[in-house]
Formats: sequence, structure tokens, C-alpha cells
Amino acid sequence: MSNIAGKAYAMNVITPLRWYTAWITRFIFWYAGKRPATTLGLITLSLIHYARWVIIRPDQFPRLSEDQPREELKYYYMMFFSNFNGSWDQYVDSFSSAIPKGLDLFWIFNVKYPKSVPMLPFHHYITANQIWTDHYYNAYPMAASNDVKAAKRVRDNLLTFVAETRSATADDFQQKYNALLLTLQHDLGQMTPNPIVSLSAAAVEKRLAREIRTFSAGGKAEA
Amino acid sequence: MSNKSGNAYGLTTLIPIRAGTPAKCPEGMEGQTYAACLRYQLQDMSWVSLNSPMAKVPNTYLCRFYILEDVYYEGKPAALEHLKSNYLVFTANLHGELRPWLEGLWRAIQPEISALLQNCYGFETVHDSESFVAYIEECQLETTFYFNGSTDEPLDVQLKSLYLKQEFSKFVYENQGKTTAQLQAAFAEFVKRTQPENTAGPTWRAGAYELDNVTGAGEA
Repeated sequence: MSNIAGKAYAMNVITPLRWYTAWITRFIFWYAGKRPATTLGLITLSLIHYARWVIIRPDQFPRLSEDQPREELKYYYMMFFSNFNGSWDQYVDSFSSAIPKGLDLFWIFNVKYPKSVPMLPFHHYITANQIWTDHYYNAYPMAASNDVKAAKRVRDNLLTFVAETRSATADDFQQKYNALLLTLQHDLGQMTPNPIVSLSAAAVEKRLAREIRTFSAGGKAEA
Repeated sequence: MSNKSGNAYGLTTLIPIRAGTPAKCPEGMEGQTYAACLRYQLQDMSWVSLNSPMAKVPNTYLCRFYILEDVYYEGKPAALEHLKSNYLVFTANLHGELRPWLEGLWRAIQPEISALLQNCYGFETVHDSESFVAYIEECQLETTFYFNGSTDEPLDVQLKSLYLKQEFSKFVYENQGKTTAQLQAAFAEFVKRTQPENTAGPTWRAGAYELDNVTGAGEA
């Protein structure tokens, strides 16, 4: 079980909302999709790779067989999935601090939503409704979302530079190289592995290390 | 309401898990429920990162599996209610359209995905790529709001870009203070070695999490 895959954290939250308010929440999301300016706050939180909200009606829970019991739910449910960099606290707190109004707008009709400020009730709300991930895969565990975006700028600029300096004189090359570094100064920097690639793998490694220590100690004692 | 944001696609599925106990289950899990056996398979340690079957599926940025056992009670005066089935929640962030991605998934990891989904209702109807796509589409939920905070280029382009960022950063550091002629010669060597236009390689391997295994020929 791991919510971590390298530098990415997978958050899963499911919360109920009443049927007669669900349509308003849907409208808010629809409006946010039509007016990108309403999501500028989310873009500011550049630690997010991808995030999504999915509202499910009780009759939308898939039923694939007559043997499968039919769900009998009163509430609609909102599922939230996020892929972000950093710790749980950093993420939840940055939401509360950077876009409290936007966050409240998306969740305001969910049953017993405490609002994003103050932070402690909001922490409790997310913790109480979060589900742990059983398997999480990340194509680039060593890269943060900002690394992916920076890497695109590096490659784009590098390709242009290569094309422009293919037959350049030494002086022209140096001048363009200096300009390239100035343009990319915020995007360069080497990536390194995360201390923990997966919580479950880390737990197994820790247990194995402990067992090896115990076994070694036992072995010595017997010897 | 959209599953797409630019070229990125957000797949969300709820796949109902069978009730009861499977006749065949992983060693040590005899007598356990389908959901427990499925969770055991998902948490297989040998699946971490680079070794995840999903690393073989083209154009997969990020994906996750978890088991939704029930919904939460929010406390009074909220109503208390329960799910009648367990669901496998499978979501993915991918590049491009869903159908070719699902077909690619089936081609790449049919044995692994079948081993998981045999614990779920209706999977007995799946016998090829076409029926697999239909099965997943039946379990798919429409995304209400999808936020793309990354780039939405094909995965091989993203991985090549990360490789170049890493290598060019090293190059800049190692070539400080060189004469113009030395720098130009070193850069020519750099281009020859890294092949910036060639996304097939050299590049980063999908799912690699250590510096000594990150560079490879290209995406599987």
C-alpha cells in the first residue's frame, strides 16, 4: 500500500453531497471549465501534476451482473483524485492558504464540509474521508511537476539552439550559448531520487534490515 | 464535464469486485475474499515503480489502483449508508485518446491486468482487446472537472525532455570557464551523444527511480 511513487503523492478522497445540491456543484465545475481564469489559483499551485473531481449519482455505480447487488444510496458522491509533489501537509495547507475560496466553492455543498479555513477542521475532514492507494505508478518518479514543465522548455530551447548554431562562428556560438543559459537559468538543475520511492517498499526494506540485524545478532550469540 | 484537458486524458473507473471467496487465490490467501485477494495482488512488492506492469503501457503518465470498500459516515445529522459491493478504483492520466491507450494496455500487460480483473464481476466476457475496451468503458465514470497542471506531450517526449534537462545541466556545470573553441567542440560531442531530436533514445526509462537505471533506449 503506498500513496507515494517517487516525488508524487496520490490523494483519494470521497465525500457525500445531497442530490438537490449536486447540480449546483456540477454547475460550478462546468463554469470553472468554461472560464479558465477561475482556475488560475490551481495553476499557481505548480506542485500538481493532474487532479480531478468526479461526481457520481447513486445509479451510476457500475452493475455488471445480475448477481451483483444493486446499490441503494441516498447521497451523490464526489471523488477527488490528485497527483502532487511534496507532503500531505504541504499540499493541504497550500490549498487552504492559496485558494481557500476556490476550494470552498468546489466543496461547499458536501455534507458537513467545514470550510478550508481554519486548517485543523479541514485537515480532519480530508483525513476522515481519504482512502489509501494500493498501487501507484508514476512514469517519472525522480521528477516533480515543475521539472516536467522545465524539461519541456529546456528541450524546446536546446533544439532551436542546435539548429541556429549548426554552422555558427565561435563568437556567434558563444553569444547564443550565453543567451540560452540566461533563458534557461530557472530550468536547469539536476534531479535526484526521492529518499522513499514507495511507502510499502520502504516498509519492507526496513523490516528486512531489522530481520537481518536480528539474525546477525543471533548468529553471533550462538557462535 | 470532460475527461480531457488538452492532450491529457483522465480515465476514472469503478469496477465492481465479486462477493465471496475465489476458488483460486494467491498462496497464503486461501479462504480470503475476492477483494482481499485483489488487494494482495495490487500490493505485490515486485511491482514497485520501474517494475510496475503499467511501466510497459505506452503514454501512461500516472495511474493508481485502490479498493473502495465503503463510503464514510460524516456523523450526525448525516445519513448512514453503505455500499453493497466493493469496487476496484482504477484511474489513469494518459496522453491521447482512450481507446488506443486501452488497446495498448491490453497488448502490453494482458496477463497482469487479467489476473487482477478476474476478481471482478463481468470480466468473464473479456477475451480480446475489443471486449476489454468495452468492459472498461462500461465501468468508466465521466470526469466532472479535470485539471492538467503538467505538460500534455506524448510520454516519450516528456521522458526525452527530462533526460535532456538532466544531461544539459551536467554539461553546463562541467564546461564552465572553457574557451569558446573548447565549449563549441564539447557541445558538438554533447549533441552527438544525447541526440536531442531523437525521442527513441537515449532517454529516460518510464518508471525509473534511480540515477543508475534511469537512462535507457526508450519507452516500451
